[in-house]
Amino acid sequence: MKKKSTKRQVSALRVGTVWLVLLILLAVLSVVAVAVGSAGYSVGEILHAIFSGEDSTIKVIVVNLRLPRLLLAIMIGASLSASGALLQSVMRNPLADPGTIGVSAGAGTAATTILLLFPSLTNTVPLFAFGGAALACGLIYSLAWKGGIDPVRIILSGVAINSVLSAYNSLLQLLYSDSLQGVLAFMNGSLSGRSWSQVRILAVYAGIGLVLSFMCIKSANTLQLGDEMAKSLGVKVNASRLFLSAVSAFLAAATVSVAGMIGFVGLVVPHIARLLVGSDYKAMLPTSVLLGAVVLLAADTIGRTIVPGMEIPVGIVMSVTGGPFFLYMLRKKGKVSGN
Amino acid sequence: MEIKAQNIEIAYGDYLAVKDMNILVEKGKITTIIGPNGSGKSTVLKGLTRLLNYRKGSVYLDARNLKEFSAKELARHIGVLPQMHSAPPDFQVKELVSYGRMPYQKWYERCNEEDQRIIDWAMQATGVWELREKSINECSGGESQRVWIATVLTQQPEILFLDEPTTYLDISHQQEMMRLVKKLNRESGIGVVMVLHDLSHAMEVSDWVVVIKNGKKYDEGKPEDVINPRMMREVYDVDCDIINIPGREKPLIAYREIS
Repeated sequence: MKKKSTKRQVSALRVGTVWLVLLILLAVLSVVAVAVGSAGYSVGEILHAIFSGEDSTIKVIVVNLRLPRLLLAIMIGASLSASGALLQSVMRNPLADPGTIGVSAGAGTAATTILLLFPSLTNTVPLFAFGGAALACGLIYSLAWKGGIDPVRIILSGVAINSVLSAYNSLLQLLYSDSLQGVLAFMNGSLSGRSWSQVRILAVYAGIGLVLSFMCIKSANTLQLGDEMAKSLGVKVNASRLFLSAVSAFLAAATVSVAGMIGFVGLVVPHIARLLVGSDYKAMLPTSVLLGAVVLLAADTIGRTIVPGMEIPVGIVMSVTGGPFFLYMLRKKGKVSGN
Repeated sequence: MEIKAQNIEIAYGDYLAVKDMNILVEKGKITTIIGPNGSGKSTVLKGLTRLLNYRKGSVYLDARNLKEFSAKELARHIGVLPQMHSAPPDFQVKELVSYGRMPYQKWYERCNEEDQRIIDWAMQATGVWELREKSINECSGGESQRVWIATVLTQQPEILFLDEPTTYLDISHQQEMMRLVKKLNRESGIGVVMVLHDLSHAMEVSDWVVVIKNGKKYDEGKPEDVINPRMMREVYDVDCDIINIPGREKPLIAYREIS
């Protein structure tokens, strides 16, 4: 009895420790992200600039540029990771991410169309990207629907729709190859030049989405037991899948519309969270959210400081650093399960 | 609780898997469905438990139509262990078993003391109490099957549906599983409906046997009446003798030697 009770405490302790470490990391990274950049400041200088009431260059840079960017990175990382974590449960597939259900391709198609064919409407890209993501996702689900939701059919219709949309995108890019600047920035996900207005918008969407995703913890857990088992436990499997997918798509679409397409976070962060705290969404979802925030903030900070005078889009940093790290985790722990 | 299926018909697309099926499952009895591969036994089980929709006919739980039950309400009356189930390998036994309380909880509710008491009872009744802190992948095949039974039992069902509960188990764990089924039936009064391949088990533990062939009911009755050489030849295309041994309650099935 005694041995067992210590074992239980250890597993709760482990989750607690992981959360604490991630919170500390997030705090440290936040300070670093505000301090470093093309102009570096000490913590004392920053605090003085913010609270002194005088207008200074430091204050403008920190408050108008770095702070909103910091908050966006945190919210985007958290949202994309939560989105991916929910989808992996819906699909019972380790490779599911917001791209699978057409969010990225739909948003990309809408953004490319606006940026290349209707450049005068550039300001409306976020709106159309969100709409495009929702439309593509809805299309994939309605094509896959056949008396219920079958994950395999969704993934396959996703592949089909994604390939059609990306062909269309490539064609547009070929035809308008001289004005690709904006498209490339969107496709690779960037937080460059974002301001408080985007922070306010995303705060609402990410807030709603994250609250909804935490409401899904129980259904996400039961879907992992197999459809028939979940059904016989009184779970409405189709309704659960639809709701979880909708929340996931909503979170991903909101981030895409603000920052463009940032790959890899939604796929890999939930896996790393699972390796750290296990498959129970009660522990795994909060871990994903925290870890996603940490990872994206780190990637963005690296991207804008590593090469002086140049910004590497956060999406590219994510893919370049995340891939090898994920492989390392895989080899070390030796198991990654999708459900 | 009594289950009555009237003229149900179940199809997979164009393929008619079960037709004109009438089944009466009496309260507190062990009813076993037998039949060759592809005969539709599992399909019948799924029809009785609403895991599959039937095209025609109706199923009644006591006097109430199965279709009138909400998903959760149904899960409070019947517990189903499907053939296919899986859990994330790092799930703890007690965590998995606690999912059996889901039909009694709202989405925001956690297990209360009453739930915990029932979870503990189910783990003790199925002999997995000692394993409760282990993860699923630390359990053997027989152990994890008992963990799943505990999960379903935690629903406090009046009838337990088991789809081939002994598949993939060795003979000792098969017998253990059958003993468990019989114990649960005797001690808790839970009705059991199961699909079995092993006819000796069907003979030994069942109160009632339903034989299915090509999606239709071939025969039903007490096991010693239904499992006979004629049925074995017509349904399974197997020759056998049924042997009564003094001192043994149920007869033995002696299959003809394989040549």
